[in-house]
Amino acid sequence: MDSSFINIEFLIDTFFVALSGVPIALLVTVVSMAIALPIGFFLALTRINEIPVLNWFTKVYVSFVRGTPVIIQIFVLYSVIPLILTGIFEKYKIDYPIYEINPLWYAFVIFSFNTAAILVEVFRSALKTVNQGQLEAAYSVGLTTAQSYRRIIIPQMLVTAMPNLCTATINLIKATSLGYAISLQEITLKAKVAANVGYNYLEAYIDIFIVYMILCMIVEYLFKLFEKRLSRYKYATA
Amino acid sequence: MLEIKNIHKSFGKNEILKGVDLKIDKGDVVVILGPSGSGKTTLLRCINFLERADQGTASFGEINVDLKGASKKDVLSIRKKTAFVFQNYNLFNNKTALENVAEGLIIGRKMPKQQAYEISKSALDKVGLSEKYDSYPSQLSGGQQQRVGIARAVALNPDIILFDEPTSALDPELVGEVLQVMKDIAKEGTTMLVVTHEMGFAKDVANKVIFMDGGVIVEEGSPHDIFVTPKEERTRRFLRRVLPGEYEFEI
Repeated sequence: MDSSFINIEFLIDTFFVALSGVPIALLVTVVSMAIALPIGFFLALTRINEIPVLNWFTKVYVSFVRGTPVIIQIFVLYSVIPLILTGIFEKYKIDYPIYEINPLWYAFVIFSFNTAAILVEVFRSALKTVNQGQLEAAYSVGLTTAQSYRRIIIPQMLVTAMPNLCTATINLIKATSLGYAISLQEITLKAKVAANVGYNYLEAYIDIFIVYMILCMIVEYLFKLFEKRLSRYKYATA
Repeated sequence: MLEIKNIHKSFGKNEILKGVDLKIDKGDVVVILGPSGSGKTTLLRCINFLERADQGTASFGEINVDLKGASKKDVLSIRKKTAFVFQNYNLFNNKTALENVAEGLIIGRKMPKQQAYEISKSALDKVGLSEKYDSYPSQLSGGQQQRVGIARAVALNPDIILFDEPTSALDPELVGEVLQVMKDIAKEGTTMLVVTHEMGFAKDVANKVIFMDGGVIVEEGSPHDIFVTPKEERTRRFLRRVLPGEYEFEI
């Protein structure tokens, strides 16, 4: 072991190694969010409007996701999905090597599955803050339900949802670090692999720390800007 | 022009409307009076399908619909012939005064933006808000908000405007400006159905007054019929309560 406590050179080199995992981490975050947003919103509507079967399904789904650790969800889905696929592929005689599927695809499925459940609750609470009268007013001037939601309800709902959406996004970015469990080439895995060579784990962990922190701070800042823009109408001064 | 027959509506076991008939001709200003809980607001909301009636029919110009089973298309076409002014204004919070007024024209009626904004501006001018085109609802007083609400209804050029207690949520000193705007548009020949507690407005502006109680129409007639020579005891009792002093001399 080196005489100094921390190997500065390794620390700096590995920082860039960790940084090189950012694109994958962001890709997983953006794609999972893009999938989870519409699903979460739709399921939130089934809860609010108490749609018979879907409402119940959503409740169970949300409880399940919230009540289990993400890492276990990853392990379960990572084992279950290949089994299901094998079944399907055998039935339809598709010849595809299941165990060569890029872990990226698993990551998309797992993290959107997880995030959609979180977003159900984010949207449900935000939708409740928009007064029923807004929808009635939209109907009264001849808008359809879809038009009313797009133009009146969603823009107002988003303002309330923004802080929680920001939290959900940041949690998702951090959760992608669990992708190392399925060999996803993201920040944590890359830095850890670099550390394996000379057992410089402390340096690697510090680098991982810093990279996530910078990433999350940037995202936080962007959300703040966006929130300000969306809520112009609330704080407009006479 | 608008004829409603035998409208029934219950909320759970509570029957709010127990068979109401209503006929309104073009240019009429009809005021509905009655104690709270008498079904006035529910009647108005059923006409615009903000509530689904349990029974009843409506004929609206050439459109005839069953109020209970009306299709989405019928609902939309009736909503496009009517406009609604809400007790709590219900302006779109995320839109400026001008956008509030133009929304129904641009989106609901697919009018070109330019034209919609011109109509909306003149509607806002009419209610005395030429200075407030770009203000958001949060920047307006209650009276101003309700005037935007009225402009939003007027701009649609509907066959009838439904007013649901338009002054009830206002501070007393702001009631006058809203009533004045309503008088102005009534003078222009707008057909109006108004639920209100403003007896002065009913007396001066209405050409027909309806007194409702317990989910039925108790009595209807000209303002003179209702305020000076009411026939029903229930009407008299109500008027005594809302017009103390003034009314007793007329018995």
